[in-house]
Amino acid sequence: MKYQPRALIAEVTHRCPLHCVYCSNPLEMQRRSSEISTADWSSIFQQSGEMGTLQLHLTGGEPLARNDLTELVRAGRAARLYVNLITSAVGLDEACLDALVEAGLDHIQLSFQDIEEAPANEFAGTRSHALKLRMADMIRKRRIGFTLNMVVHRQNLTRLEQMIAFAEASGAQRVEIAHVQYYGWALRNQAALLPTREQVDRSIDIVEAARERLKGRLRIDFVLPDYYAKYPKPCMNGWGHQQMLIDPTGRVLPCHAAGVIPGLEFANAREHPLRWIWEESPAFNRFRDESWMPEPCRTCDRRERDFGGCRCQAFLLTGDATATDPVCSLAPKHDVVEQILRRTNGAKPDWVYRIDPV
Amino acid sequence: MNSLQPETILRLAPGCRLNESGSAEDLLLIPEGALRLKGPARTIVELCTGDRAVREIVEELQRRFGVENAERIEAETLALLARLRDRGALESI
Repeated sequence: MKYQPRALIAEVTHRCPLHCVYCSNPLEMQRRSSEISTADWSSIFQQSGEMGTLQLHLTGGEPLARNDLTELVRAGRAARLYVNLITSAVGLDEACLDALVEAGLDHIQLSFQDIEEAPANEFAGTRSHALKLRMADMIRKRRIGFTLNMVVHRQNLTRLEQMIAFAEASGAQRVEIAHVQYYGWALRNQAALLPTREQVDRSIDIVEAARERLKGRLRIDFVLPDYYAKYPKPCMNGWGHQQMLIDPTGRVLPCHAAGVIPGLEFANAREHPLRWIWEESPAFNRFRDESWMPEPCRTCDRRERDFGGCRCQAFLLTGDATATDPVCSLAPKHDVVEQILRRTNGAKPDWVYRIDPV
Repeated sequence: MNSLQPETILRLAPGCRLNESGSAEDLLLIPEGALRLKGPARTIVELCTGDRAVREIVEELQRRFGVENAERIEAETLALLARLRDRGALESI
C-alpha cells in the first residue's frame, strides 16, 4: 500500500458543554447511546498502531465528557501512539489531569474562543472562558506538551495581538492561530464569521511579526482561510493519504466533513478490519488517485501538490464533489467564492439580468 | 536565541519523546508530527537526559564512535543539538 495512515483523529463523542458557532462537527450529531465502547476504541488504536500510525488525536465534542478518557489515553499509549488531547478543558480538574498525565498523555491542545470574556462566551454559546483561564494555569504546572488554539474570524480579529500576548504568557510551547474553515456549523454562520480581505492581510502581518519576535520561545502555527487563497489547500494532504477520522459510532472517514458527500458509504470499524477500510474500502479509494479529476486539475502542474483541493468544500459550494475546489482561481466555478467574497467585502453583488424570451 | 555553549544542559522538551527503540524507523515524536532521526541521531538524543552538559555528550560520543573522528563527531553533534533546540524539541535547563 502506497499510503500509510500517520494520524488517527478519534472523535470519541459528539457531546460537548460548548456550542461553538464554528464547530467542525457535522450538523447531525451522534447520540451517547450509539457511542462505541472502550474496548472498541482499544482495538481500533491497536490496529492503527500496527498499520504505522504515529499520532492519536482524541477529540470530540469534548472528550472529557466520556468517563473512560483515562483508559482511552492508556490504550493509545499501549498501541505505541503519541496521544494528544484536543479539549475545551471543561470538565477537567487537578485529579483528572494528574490521572491523564499518569496514563501517558503526551500533549494537550486547549482551545480559546477569544481573549475577552464576553465575546468568548458568546462564540462558545456558554460561560466557559473564566474556567478555561484557570485550566490553562493548571496545565502549565505539569510537564506536558501544551498548545493553545485560538480560532479567529471576522468578530475577534481586532484582538489578535492580545491573543498572541496571552499565549506568550500562558506557559504553552506553541499556539495555533486558526482562521475558521467553512464546514459544519461554520458554514452555517459564514456570513458573520468570514473576515474581510483587509482583516486577513493584517492578520498575516501580525503573525509574521510575532513569529520573528518570539523565535525560540513560542512556536506559532497559522491557518489561513482558503477562500482568500489563489490555489486550494492540500486538504488532509490528500484524500486517504495520511489521516483517518473515526466518529463516535466507529464510522471511519478520511476527514471531519466527508460525511456530507452523497453516495459514499463509510465502513464501521466494528464491522471491518481497519486495514481493509483504509486499503480496500471504496470510500477511501474514491478520490485517492487522480482518476476522478476534472479539467483543469487533470493537466494542472499543481495536482500533486494540492490534489485538486477539498472534496467536501467542492460539494458544499458547488453541489458536485468531483468539481475542482472552487476556492482555486482556475476553477470553472470560482465565481461562487468570488460572490461570497464580494458580499463580505462590502461591494455590490453582481446584477442578475433578466433574459428576454425568444 | 543563544548559541549552544559547552556547559548547556539539554533535555527533551515537554510533549516530545523518542518512539520505542526497535521500531521500523527512529523518530522523535513532537506535537506537530514526527522528526526522522538518521544514523546516530537517536543515540545523541538519548544522551540528552538533563544531567549532562553538551561537552560531556560530545565526549561520550567520541568514546563510543572513536576518537579518530573526534572533530567530525563534535561538529555534527553540535549541529544536530542546535537544530533540535531551535525546533523546540530540546530545551536547555
